[in-house]
Amino acid sequence: MSYEFRFDIVWANIDVLLLGVEMTILLSFMAMVLGTIIGIVTAVIRLRGIRLLSYPMIAYVEVFRGTPALVQIVWIYYCLPIIIGIEMSAFFSLVLAMALNSGAYLSEVFRAGIQGIDKGHIDAAYALGFRSGQVTRRIILPQAAYRMIPAVGNVFITSIKLSSLCSVLGMAELMYQGQLVIANYFRPIEVFTVVAGIYLVMTYSTSLFLIFLERRLAWKKREKVPLREQFKLIWASLFRLSPG
Amino acid sequence: MTTAIQSERTPAIGIVDLHKSFGKLEVLKGITCDIWPGDVVCMIGSSGSGKSTLLRCINYLEPPTAGQVYVHGTPMGRVKAGDGTLRDADQGTLAKQRMRIGFVFQHFNLWPHKTALGNVAEALVVVKGMRRDEATERGTEALRRVDLLDKQDDYPSTLSGGQQQRVAIARMLAMEPDVLLFDEPTSALDPELVGEVIDVMQGLAAEGNTMVVATHELGFARETANRMVFLDDGVIAEEAPTETFFESPRQERTQSFLKRMLKL
Ligand SMILES: Nc1ncnc2c1ncn2[C@@H]1O[C@H](COP(=O)(O)OP(=O)(O)OP(=O)(O)O)[C@@H](O)[C@H]1O
Ligand SMILES: [Mg+2]
Repeated sequence: MSYEFRFDIVWANIDVLLLGVEMTILLSFMAMVLGTIIGIVTAVIRLRGIRLLSYPMIAYVEVFRGTPALVQIVWIYYCLPIIIGIEMSAFFSLVLAMALNSGAYLSEVFRAGIQGIDKGHIDAAYALGFRSGQVTRRIILPQAAYRMIPAVGNVFITSIKLSSLCSVLGMAELMYQGQLVIANYFRPIEVFTVVAGIYLVMTYSTSLFLIFLERRLAWKKREKVPLREQFKLIWASLFRLSPG
Repeated sequence: MTTAIQSERTPAIGIVDLHKSFGKLEVLKGITCDIWPGDVVCMIGSSGSGKSTLLRCINYLEPPTAGQVYVHGTPMGRVKAGDGTLRDADQGTLAKQRMRIGFVFQHFNLWPHKTALGNVAEALVVVKGMRRDEATERGTEALRRVDLLDKQDDYPSTLSGGQQQRVAIARMLAMEPDVLLFDEPTSALDPELVGEVIDVMQGLAAEGNTMVVATHELGFARETANRMVFLDDGVIAEEAPTETFFESPRQERTQSFLKRMLKL
């Protein structure tokens, strides 16, 4: 094979790709924030067991876990505005679609995290005179937050990858910008390789951050570890692919 | 002085015709019993007889289905309405009442995200509103009482069962409750760790604390309790001073239960 790689062409157009990176980060970040809010609200409603509200929430979670993300994005982009009669900007409808998708998964993560707390820990707090708000803040959330980090990280990373689907609807994020460069220079191998590499950098730094967060919150061995040692540990755990 | 005379006439805990059902299953079928200040009452009974349920009803971790518990004469979990009838207390009132009743669980229930000292100091800060340094001082004192000062910075997962239960006792003692409830505090422990927890409890009894202990440790009961309660099938089958209870139990079922237990 005598294919001549021309990565210099990609490099010359890196500003076009970086524009896409900016949009990808913006899309995913907004979707994560909105999705987290949706996930918390859904989880709380289901945990409280409010019948009237619980059933729609169960339906919502099942629908978004049971249909392809691309179908959801296209449906919310084209169909939803017609059905509810409200016009939405392309950016907003895509953020909404992605947020609803991550929200469905996050609500399950939050629900499991909170339900997983030992009932005895809660009894012990009440027996000492805690009120329910204090039990939630001081006993349930600190334990649940720590345990949920890996699962939440998975959803966030998925959300970054999902944002590439928005290219189908002409949103100028990384994937779309890559195709733009390809259309001009006919260099799909180089461009797609670099695009994939950039996604990997984004998802990897997200998991790096989450592992860092997990270590900060870890309650077991909280003796002072020098910063260099911490980085070594983080590197080691990255290659084991599971934080721990 | 007045309080002493008053407390002589008012039981520390008065249980009046207490019933508790879980759905169709009636676990407590009318329990009436007084625990007087300074009493150390040991409660025995086979598995499933309702010991835990009774203790949990006393501090309202389980709201009773019918009947009433009084703590120093005040109805637990209930307040008098204007017309003299009782209605459910609000959360704040209930929390204040629970603060005065210590509870030790079979499975310790220490919070895994806090150190031994953190476990002991937490309620002092959250519930009593103490400053951190005050709470730390009080917490250290409580850990000293259970002889665990050297473990104050350790997390529960690194402690033995006996040590965890002693931290749980310290956590309760730091709140300075009037009545101490123990739900099989040594049942989850390896045999060689039972002694250290029993030592702490005998110390508390010797100090004159009012205690109710559900237990299978007949030796401990015999040495420590001044009164025994035998719970069977949701009712108090027999209640007697410790010596009478062990020497000459009146009921047939008490005799056979004791025989079974002593054979083990
Ligand atoms: N929250 C609950 N929901 C339903 N049933 C319960 C609940 N708690 C206890 N029970 C039932 O009530 C009965 C009495 O239980 P309890 O735990 O009070 O017994 P116990 O005397 O403490 O027994 P053990 O010696 O095994 O601890 C059991 O049949 C148990 O299954
Ligand atoms: Mg029990």
